[in-house]
Amino acid sequence: MSDIRKWFMKAHEKGNGSAPNRLLSKAVAVTSAAETASIKSEQASEDQESAARRKTSKYFGKDKTIAKDEKEVGEIPAKRKLKTDSDDLGKSRPRKAIKVDDDDDDFEVPNSRKTRDSTPSKKLKSGSGRGVTSKAVDIDEDDDGEDAQEKETPLKSGGRGRGGRAASGASTGGRGRGGGRGGFMNFGERKDPPHKGEKEVPEGNPDCLAGLTFVISGTLDSLEREEAEDLIKRHGGRVTGSVSKKTTYLLCDEDIGGRKSEKAKELGTKFLTEDGLFDMIRSSKPVKKSLPERTNKGTEKVSAQLKISPQKEETRGKLVAKISPNKVPPHSSPAKAKKKIIQTSLPWTEKYRPKVPNEIVGNQSLVTQLHNWLSHWHDQFGGTGSKGKGKKLNDAGAKKAVLMSGTPGIGKTTSAKLVSQMLGFQAVEVNASDSRGKANSNIAKGIGGSNANTVKELVNNEAIAANIDRSKHPKTVLIMDEVDGMSAGDRGGVADLIASIKISKIPIICICNDRYSQKLKSLVNYCLPLNFRKPTKQQMAKRLTHIAKAEGLEVNEIALEELAERVNGDIRLALNQLQYMSLSMSVIKYDDIRQRLLSSAKDEDISPFTAVDKLFGYNGGKLRMDERIDLSMSDFDLVPLLVQENYLNYRPSSTGKDEAKRMELLARAAESIADGDIINVQIRRHRQWQLSLSSCVASSILPASLLHGSREVLEQGERNFNRFGGWLGKNSTAGKNTRLLEDLHVHVLASRESSSGRETIRVDYLPLLLNRLTSPLQTLPKDEAVSEVVEFMNSYSISQEDFDTIMELAKFKGRANPLEGVPPAVKSALTKKYNETNKTRMVRAADMVQLPGMKKAPKKRIAAMLEPSVESLKDEDGELLAENEEENESDAEDSEEATDGEKLESNLKNLNARGIQVEVDVKGAGSSGLRKAAGKGRGRGKAADASEKKAAGRGSGAKRKR
Amino acid sequence: MLWVDKYRPKSLDKVVVHEDIAQNLKKLVTEQDCPHLLFYGPSGSGKKTLIVALLKQIYGASAEKVKVENRAWKIDAGSRTLDLELTILSSTNHVELTPSDAGFQDRYIVQEIIKEMAKNRPIDTKGKKGYKVLVLNEVDKLSREAQHSLRRTMEKYSSSCRLILCCNSSSKVTEAIKSRCLNVRINAPSKEEIVKVLEFIAKKESLQLPQGFAARIAEKSNRSLRRAILSLETCRVQNYPFTDNQVISPMDWEEYVAEIATDMMREQSPKSLFQVRGKVYELLVNCIPPEVIMKRLLHELLKKLDSELKLEVCHWAAYYEHRMRLGQKAIFHIEAFVAKFMSIYKNFLISTFG
Repeated sequence: MSDIRKWFMKAHEKGNGSAPNRLLSKAVAVTSAAETASIKSEQASEDQESAARRKTSKYFGKDKTIAKDEKEVGEIPAKRKLKTDSDDLGKSRPRKAIKVDDDDDDFEVPNSRKTRDSTPSKKLKSGSGRGVTSKAVDIDEDDDGEDAQEKETPLKSGGRGRGGRAASGASTGGRGRGGGRGGFMNFGERKDPPHKGEKEVPEGNPDCLAGLTFVISGTLDSLEREEAEDLIKRHGGRVTGSVSKKTTYLLCDEDIGGRKSEKAKELGTKFLTEDGLFDMIRSSKPVKKSLPERTNKGTEKVSAQLKISPQKEETRGKLVAKISPNKVPPHSSPAKAKKKIIQTSLPWTEKYRPKVPNEIVGNQSLVTQLHNWLSHWHDQFGGTGSKGKGKKLNDAGAKKAVLMSGTPGIGKTTSAKLVSQMLGFQAVEVNASDSRGKANSNIAKGIGGSNANTVKELVNNEAIAANIDRSKHPKTVLIMDEVDGMSAGDRGGVADLIASIKISKIPIICICNDRYSQKLKSLVNYCLPLNFRKPTKQQMAKRLTHIAKAEGLEVNEIALEELAERVNGDIRLALNQLQYMSLSMSVIKYDDIRQRLLSSAKDEDISPFTAVDKLFGYNGGKLRMDERIDLSMSDFDLVPLLVQENYLNYRPSSTGKDEAKRMELLARAAESIADGDIINVQIRRHRQWQLSLSSCVASSILPASLLHGSREVLEQGERNFNRFGGWLGKNSTAGKNTRLLEDLHVHVLASRESSSGRETIRVDYLPLLLNRLTSPLQTLPKDEAVSEVVEFMNSYSISQEDFDTIMELAKFKGRANPLEGVPPAVKSALTKKYNETNKTRMVRAADMVQLPGMKKAPKKRIAAMLEPSVESLKDEDGELLAENEEENESDAEDSEEATDGEKLESNLKNLNARGIQVEVDVKGAGSSGLRKAAGKGRGRGKAADASEKKAAGRGSGAKRKR
Repeated sequence: MLWVDKYRPKSLDKVVVHEDIAQNLKKLVTEQDCPHLLFYGPSGSGKKTLIVALLKQIYGASAEKVKVENRAWKIDAGSRTLDLELTILSSTNHVELTPSDAGFQDRYIVQEIIKEMAKNRPIDTKGKKGYKVLVLNEVDKLSREAQHSLRRTMEKYSSSCRLILCCNSSSKVTEAIKSRCLNVRINAPSKEEIVKVLEFIAKKESLQLPQGFAARIAEKSNRSLRRAILSLETCRVQNYPFTDNQVISPMDWEEYVAEIATDMMREQSPKSLFQVRGKVYELLVNCIPPEVIMKRLLHELLKKLDSELKLEVCHWAAYYEHRMRLGQKAIFHIEAFVAKFMSIYKNFLISTFG
């Protein structure tokens, strides 16, 4: 804080360079009570200053005046000096008022004085209640003073005050709580403004900030970022993201010392507080107001002021109208004349389609590239097709076709046409409206000169064919528009296109929206890729201004930039919107565009957290139904989960203290959430997507409308924020455990001691298994215990991992760990013993065999095992195995039999030859068992790893699937 | 080896508890051609044991020589291909699987595997039995679609394949399937039978059973023979020789559910509901099936409830259990039940005690 203050001081001091003399002159002026003189002197002093500094110094100078005045009055502390009251049009209300103070003959004197006297309570409140910065407080005081003044000055207030308030109400209402655009990742990163919505947002001259560039940093005092941005834009200012030389002000209320403020200090950018901004805006208004107000008093005065204001404007190089500030832009009059002349019925998109490549908005380098490619095409590939292929002059020309890609409406087709036109090519366009399956498949032939089916194709191909033959003169270029739109109807479209490119004797320009589309994968290799990017909003605004001018529309650039942003780079859409708006109005302001394009507003990212917050918030009951639907649909999967996780935490405002009632509402909400789940099953399983609305009503909206209120904390130490839905995590853990249990189940089955189901194992067997595995370890002496446990494990072919699984599953929160009291030495002895006996293990499971032709090894797990107890069954078994191998080639079989062993060995070699790591456990009665031990450990480790991975995959995938 | 498995009868002749059924089954397969079979009855009553014994009766020793594998299927379902994975237990003559593990895609499994089996007729030159057997577990959990597709394949491939279905409740099996099978109801063994078995095992293991101890275990076992034997062994592991008043400890998860029930009775508030949710999650994460939780929870609640509330609470438990089967996220439904119970109970407490 002190830092920023210093900075402000500095700026102030800079301004002070010229201040003293101004002060002097002002003092004189004031004492002589000649306002005109004061203004003149101010003007004079201003002239001495550099343009950039003019504004601050001016108002700092003026501040001095005020301070001085006030000192004279003896009411306001000297701190007030710092008041950053901007005074764009040179007629700030406070200043006026103060000046008036000095004017003994002014009728307002008693009023304003009274105001100042009568507002101590307010000041007190603002001083103590708001724990911001002392500086901000100062300004607050000022504000309050002003407000009060406003209220008590009957002549002034009228519609304006109310209007201002209404505006602020509307803007805050629309945004609601925490209308951040940040996702939940940076949730809570930026604090809410400390005095959110408490201040009245001023309304000023719509152009009062024109030409100024703002950068917002940190948390403002009362406005949300977006609100501040909106406010500035509405008044013609420009908001950019980072500080540069062009930045006029850095808008921040406290110095958070970030990069922005450092940069700003470096560049000498001025700092501006929110109140400063308000004052700037507010002060722009009175010009008009002052007219009627002062008529009876000082007409000369007013006229003098009026004269001055335009002068100032001009010196600042601003495009503000000379006489009345809200009748605007400069380019209006010539344009109007023009408009009368070109009054055609063409849509603007056609009318203002660029006529020369330079007119294309953005992507100029790509246009040039296209131009080069096209102009060199015939040099490279010659008129005679295949022969020319050899000469590859440069990389750009090496491809016979180009693929232009980009979002709709940014001028791909236009540039293709323009460039070919400019180079004297005759463009033949084939787009989605032509039946492309046929057209495409025949283009190849058409180029070759053979006949085609339909008339249309005939025309196209005729032209191409004819031109190829004559090779020189009107050259042809084929524009394949919307190639990614080639769908089922266009049989083999892309393949044919590629074939055409290969044999083509003319350049082919392909145009698509999505270059990474699966359909175009093969095509990309044959084409020179040209990625059209969206033009920046500035570029677009420039072009749009041009058009608006030509059409006689009055739009300022900021508004057009907003339009450009709203349409997301689509010039075509922007023009259509503009034309539509031009029907009803000839002056288009920022607000108009905002309103008009509200529906197509940039999708404000509502994070699911914000959505739940709003739904359950205090005002949740006041939301319109469509708003609720919007909120709960903001993330169809996540919002219900968040609702389910958090609905318990809300104390419904409808029940008050009645706990029984609350419980009842909770039960209803819980049932409704369960309803949502049932509906969701219908949607997902039976693809009844028409139910999605019901689902969102049942799972989010109903619970929210029952329970909305204030959030409370259920557990000590919990943050009072909505928790992330626990279901996803628990579900994935449950899934993981189920898989582990399944492993155990498989092993138990493989031991052939039991044939129980998985659930039986968990519900009935597990406690006993646990007992058998742990109680010896706890009670018996080490060696005895270990051998007993290992024996038991072997009899059920429970592996070490299964042992862990059993321990894991038997763990309950708040219960003792089943392995408690088992010394580590015993555990390690167990592991050792287990591994030793591994060799003689009767039954083994093969895990995780990586197989050729499988991308992911873990996907496939083979557990094949078994030792036939009866030797005579060997043959049969072999047969079966062979059979199985045939059925499922990717299965690796395990067998102790010699024949199969050989087979396996050869398989192994095969696999190794292919560089694939294979670990197969060969179940062996004899020596082959030896190598298993090592392989086993590793294989299992991998398996566990894999299942872990799988779990994670599920976890993230769950959101999408469920 | 655990006693449950050690003393499991391996052949139909040795079956003690459902002797009459075993004899009938034996006659069925030896004297006639075996029809499709549907075994149903509560868990721990011996369905699986009978099925295994029956298979042995049909195929002899080769039926015991089973192989476990995790099979993966690639199934072409219209526009997309599905990758399904399932554990199957198979011998040369039979395949056993639990299709409901595949979730709602179980019908593809059923179709695929049955077709596959029909295609591959068992190579058995000695010409014993001309059919394979497919054992399907948990048929009551099969989706409706799977059951529908099953009934067609049952007929179509009946020449080469017999089905043995096994489930807890026949009410969830469609009529169409029931009518195509010979339904075999396996009752839960009576307490006397359980005591008899326990005493038999004790004798074999040469254990000293205190007076009434077997009866107490049988009482606790909820007439599930499996559980009775398992808890006998648990007691043995925990403390031997048995004392007269030895505690028969409940299953770990049962204890936990009882804890939840206590919580619910003690405090009815959002906070308590939240804690209950955490505990239910804990159970679910530990792979306790939600139906089991629900059932046990009701059981525990009923123990403690005033009789006038019992009916209502039972009603709601059934209501939410049904909905849980319709839905997918079990926790939502359990929580809804808990919330409902809390609401009812709170109102009851207020109206009774003010």
